[in-house]
Amino acid sequence: MVLLATTTIIDILLIGLSGTLICLAVHFIPVGGAPAAMAQATGIGTGTVELAAGSGLVGLITSSYMYAYEPSADVYLVMAAGAMGAAIMLASTMLAGGLIYAYGVAVPFASAQVKKDPITGERQDTYVSKGTQGQGIPTICFVSGVVGSALGGAGGGLIYFVLMGYYSPLITTHAAAVAGVFTMGVFYVNSVIPSYGVGGTIEGVHDPKFKRVVPKDVFTSAVVSMLCGIVAILIAGGMTA
Amino acid sequence: MSDIKEISPAQLMLFGIIGGLVGIYLTPIFPPYTSILGAIGAICAVIWGAEAVRRVAKYGLGTGVPSIGQIAMGMGIIAAMFGLAIVKVLTKDPRGIYAGPILALITASIIGFIIGWFAQNVIKMKIPVMIRCMTEIAASGALIIIGFSAAVAGNYDFVGSFIPLVFDNGVILAVFWVGAVAMLHPFNACLGPDEKQKRLLYLAGSTGAITMALMGIAAIMTLGKMGAVTLLVGIILWLIFYKKFWDEVYNDAASVLGTGLIPKTEA
Repeated sequence: MVLLATTTIIDILLIGLSGTLICLAVHFIPVGGAPAAMAQATGIGTGTVELAAGSGLVGLITSSYMYAYEPSADVYLVMAAGAMGAAIMLASTMLAGGLIYAYGVAVPFASAQVKKDPITGERQDTYVSKGTQGQGIPTICFVSGVVGSALGGAGGGLIYFVLMGYYSPLITTHAAAVAGVFTMGVFYVNSVIPSYGVGGTIEGVHDPKFKRVVPKDVFTSAVVSMLCGIVAILIAGGMTA
Repeated sequence: MSDIKEISPAQLMLFGIIGGLVGIYLTPIFPPYTSILGAIGAICAVIWGAEAVRRVAKYGLGTGVPSIGQIAMGMGIIAAMFGLAIVKVLTKDPRGIYAGPILALITASIIGFIIGWFAQNVIKMKIPVMIRCMTEIAASGALIIIGFSAAVAGNYDFVGSFIPLVFDNGVILAVFWVGAVAMLHPFNACLGPDEKQKRLLYLAGSTGAITMALMGIAAIMTLGKMGAVTLLVGIILWLIFYKKFWDEVYNDAASVLGTGLIPKTEA
């Protein structure tokens, strides 16, 4: 096992990149946490980790399914499959959540962070209830969420693809399980780090918090993921039965 | 809170590390009969981890307690796989396998330290115990993963036993998730102004024991009859710990109940 070979370094960087994609994804997803569950803040009413990891793991399933049936698939195809799965998962979550916010809780969708929705141009501030941080999932949050989950799914697909390249020649049929579990570990680490950075809630790309926290979170995730990449590649050395 | 004697973090750390490692190391002695010890070792690690979660989550993470349990298992699983697999790279000696769990523990501590350092100094979370607790949480996460997996696989050989008996059939996902819940649930359930360490530790014991029972079910599939013993002992331990937790809840609630009715104001 030569750790300093060019291809190995590229693979470590790719794992670092995929961790960074997952970290970035978390910032795009409109996470409202407990306040959103009571329709007192914009976003989906659950935690960052649940949403990012939930959508990312669906992405992992779709990308690994694609890879299992087309082992000669290109890395872009595997990433696209992951992105598609994750985006569908989060979009359906937001659609179902939106139906409940609109017809169950009966709140108008509005964001307190921006005056006008950057996509539709609709005025927001007049619809925000007093004492709340906005309610529901406005258009910009929905779009931002779909983009974010696609990034996360693509990141998950990329790690899986890189790891399969190392593990499948060594442990053949068992490789999928090991690569999948390792990807899951990297996923959880990289979805919790940014959730500490954003402090639990973020509305999406239009939130002022986005610009403030993205650089330091991305830096942290990149370093930590590259460390995970080195670990992952060293593990392969121990798989010679 | 000053009048309540608490077990110090260092004592619990020793309890978790020694209990966890002894349990894991004794697992392969008389297979499959000693497989149960892996799960008991993991319960020690759960109790340690739950207390570490308590110390750090007291400061308010902003993301809820579950996030820290999940990152613990994320770090733990990476470190556990690395520690157990890397021994074959370092030495060709078959006795090298004994170094696996300790290497996993050290790796987890390093990963936890790095993530804790970044959380403290780059993300700037301003939690004084962050680095220490993140290190402890990662280390206990690795012990929990190895302990419960060893209870299912019968030993801690990564390629020979873990991959076919724990990874391939998906039991690792149960280890990952149920282990995470075992670690994060005690503080998540007990937090609040009247939170006490003793109550939390008993609850941690009971969540660890119920995880052991679930691993027993998985072990019936992999190790046969011995799994049933793990399941049974897990249920018995769960009942014992849960009763202790129940008593603690009643004890602590008594001081609230005993305050009497709100005095009637004179009209």
